[in-house]
Amino acid sequence: MSTDKVESTFFRRTSRWKLIVLLLIIALIITVIVSLNVGYAQIPFLDILSIIGKQIPGLNSLINSSSISAQNSAIILQIRMPRILAGVLVGAALAAAGVLYQGVFKNPMADSYVLGVSAGAAVGASVAILSGLSFAFFGLRLIQVAAFVGAVSAMFLVYNMSRVGSRVPVATLLLCGIAVNFFLFAVVGLLEVVAGDELHSIVFWLIGGFSNVLWKDIWAIVPFIVIGIVGAYFYARDLNLLAMGEETAHNLGVNVERSKQILLVLASLITAAAVSICGLVGFVGLMIPHLTRLLIGPDHRILLPTSTIIGAIFLLICDDIARVVATPFASTLELPVGIITMLFGGPFFIFLLKRKKGYAA
Amino acid sequence: MRGEWVNMVLLNVDGVECRYGSVKVLEDVNLQVEGGDFVGILGPNGSGKTTLLKSISRVLKPHKGAILLNEADIYALKSVEVAKQMAVVPQETSIGFNFAALDIVLMGRNPHMGRFQMESEKDMAVARKVMNLTNTWHLAERPMNELSGGEKQRVIIARALAQEPKILLLDEPLTHLDIINQLEIMDLVKELCVKEKLIVLAVFHDFNLAARYCNTAIMITKGTVFAAGNLSDVLTSENIKNVFHVDAIVKKHLVTNSVFVIPLSPQKPAATRKCSIHLICGAGTGTALMKVLLDEGYCVTAGVLNVLDTDFETAQFLKIPVTSEAPFSPITEKTHAANLTMMRKASTIVLTSVPFGHGNVENLEAALEALEIGIPVFVVDEVPIESRDFTHGTAQALFAELKRKGAVFVKDQDELLSMLNVSEEKHGLAKEEKAKIISHLKPDGSHEESDITAKHEKTGGGTENK
Repeated sequence: MSTDKVESTFFRRTSRWKLIVLLLIIALIITVIVSLNVGYAQIPFLDILSIIGKQIPGLNSLINSSSISAQNSAIILQIRMPRILAGVLVGAALAAAGVLYQGVFKNPMADSYVLGVSAGAAVGASVAILSGLSFAFFGLRLIQVAAFVGAVSAMFLVYNMSRVGSRVPVATLLLCGIAVNFFLFAVVGLLEVVAGDELHSIVFWLIGGFSNVLWKDIWAIVPFIVIGIVGAYFYARDLNLLAMGEETAHNLGVNVERSKQILLVLASLITAAAVSICGLVGFVGLMIPHLTRLLIGPDHRILLPTSTIIGAIFLLICDDIARVVATPFASTLELPVGIITMLFGGPFFIFLLKRKKGYAA
Repeated sequence: MRGEWVNMVLLNVDGVECRYGSVKVLEDVNLQVEGGDFVGILGPNGSGKTTLLKSISRVLKPHKGAILLNEADIYALKSVEVAKQMAVVPQETSIGFNFAALDIVLMGRNPHMGRFQMESEKDMAVARKVMNLTNTWHLAERPMNELSGGEKQRVIIARALAQEPKILLLDEPLTHLDIINQLEIMDLVKELCVKEKLIVLAVFHDFNLAARYCNTAIMITKGTVFAAGNLSDVLTSENIKNVFHVDAIVKKHLVTNSVFVIPLSPQKPAATRKCSIHLICGAGTGTALMKVLLDEGYCVTAGVLNVLDTDFETAQFLKIPVTSEAPFSPITEKTHAANLTMMRKASTIVLTSVPFGHGNVENLEAALEALEIGIPVFVVDEVPIESRDFTHGTAQALFAELKRKGAVFVKDQDELLSMLNVSEEKHGLAKEEKAKIISHLKPDGSHEESDITAKHEKTGGGTENK
């Protein structure tokens, strides 16, 4: 077969995908290690590497950890590590869910807000905060469980209200989602009005942040997020075809209703898991997919994995900034990461958009 | 492509009824087609053409009846299985994200790929072949959103062909294409239909394109099949009148040997006819006038005209009473008398710039007689009588006589119409028509006609070669 410039360019592009993912994973690992170094307590970089190395079975005996204090080890392993992993997981989850929502809805404005998922989580969390109860389910705080339940309930409510016969038209879904979203945020507003002393907690939760994240929180959300993202990847090509319109996707062999249903449920579970531990971290789900699309194109087979990793890196960096930016003023003050994502993410995104002459899609 | 003609494809639409909610949009549609059939789906807006395609393409499940693909119910098959056999080119395409044209065409390979499979060399070879066929390979790396409407449409057609379908459904596929692209794409589709034994079902708004490519047709109105079968049996002026409420002339084209259709503008019913005008015309000189005068509400008659004369056919079509003579025969005394009887009922006679020979010079005598009994005669003296007198002076003499006895000579049709108080807009239309006909009649205008003929032959020949 004669080779052609167009063909070889295409195959070179697709064969580069694995390399891109690998480089991004390396970038993520570097960001994680650098992030471990960020914080109030000054811990030497080599010590950090030793502390982590100690945890890896094979390397354990090779590392001399006599110079490392137990306190530093605890800071790294019990405080910074879970928080960093939370950043990675939540960033990955929100970005991946954003890709799925935008793909299914063919709408660049779609994110976890459109199906009422975020609003449902907000109601759940607010109710939990106001209830003042503090019992735990399998070691999880009530607020997390309530947020998760609220998010998933809102999604099912919207999905079932939008059903017309055996089909769920996207336009109906969007409108129902927006209506439910407003309704639920009105409920949150009402709860804020009557909150009194708890208002501060609700507001903090709504902005989103990672203070107080523990290992058991990580273990609770890992299965949802990993299974959700891996599962969604099975449908990456379906997402490409859905971008052609549902009828065309159907004519090209996609089982449209089933793919849509699976993708929306997965996206919502991923989102619900993420927001349950950190609150409504805004903008990641909306912006990271666009940013990645600007960089590598619209093919979901590469867009989904790269967005996921870039989302993780982005949220991690934002959280690092959140942890240190206020330190000069008050040593223990931390900003919620949601403020950073929105404050820095917005202008950065507009800068990128302008450089690409305004073509977002 | 594969040459597996053994696998003949059969499509059976069996008593299909479709509804949107409780509204019935298709009723009792039956259709049986096999590989090699090119079926035109004709019908006015909202008649159910697209609905029929939707139900065949597994998008809108029929309320009653079934769609059978090789005798299997299409709604019991998986999407992927159907997509391997059937491709659809929709009316409108909106692409959500900015994929390159090649990506779009490769999506046509989706039904042939496993869930985790990447595009193989073979998929690429198919994409390249269909993009070469549709003349889009040079656009391969261009983003879809930057392509023109016609280019986009050709990419979408390439995507459909990349599915390597046995059935191709086209829903007004030519909307955004210019004439050369329309012909090229349809020639390609026709070739695939014939050579690869594809079933092609296409919705057409242009009768002439349908006539050129389809061998069978189905005409739908208000959700029911009005006519189905051979194209020439379906595409008749009677059916067009019944379904589309438009008068149309349907003829067999001499060059392309396919049926062609000339639709005419809908005629307003004139509540009260004005006075009657009799036209003495022939060879197409009266055609434009007939239409304008009718539209203005006059009663129009004409004669004597030979059967097969252009003006005769126009008159027939417009249902204008005509005194007629056998084809290519001189006017007999009997016909002449009949014509005079008809003229006596008219309040005005109009004489067009028709050429006169021994066959029709009696018409001039008739005009003179009418003038003598007091009916005003208007003479449209557009072409000098000297150049259209083939009677060795008889016609010229009669002309002079007419002038002497007070016939009104007008320099052209315009002047005539303004004398008859015909509105300006109609004027313009009539003027264009007239100019065309006159240029053909003038001795030095004959070369234009041969030009046109030559072009026709060229187009026809080119088509067959492909």
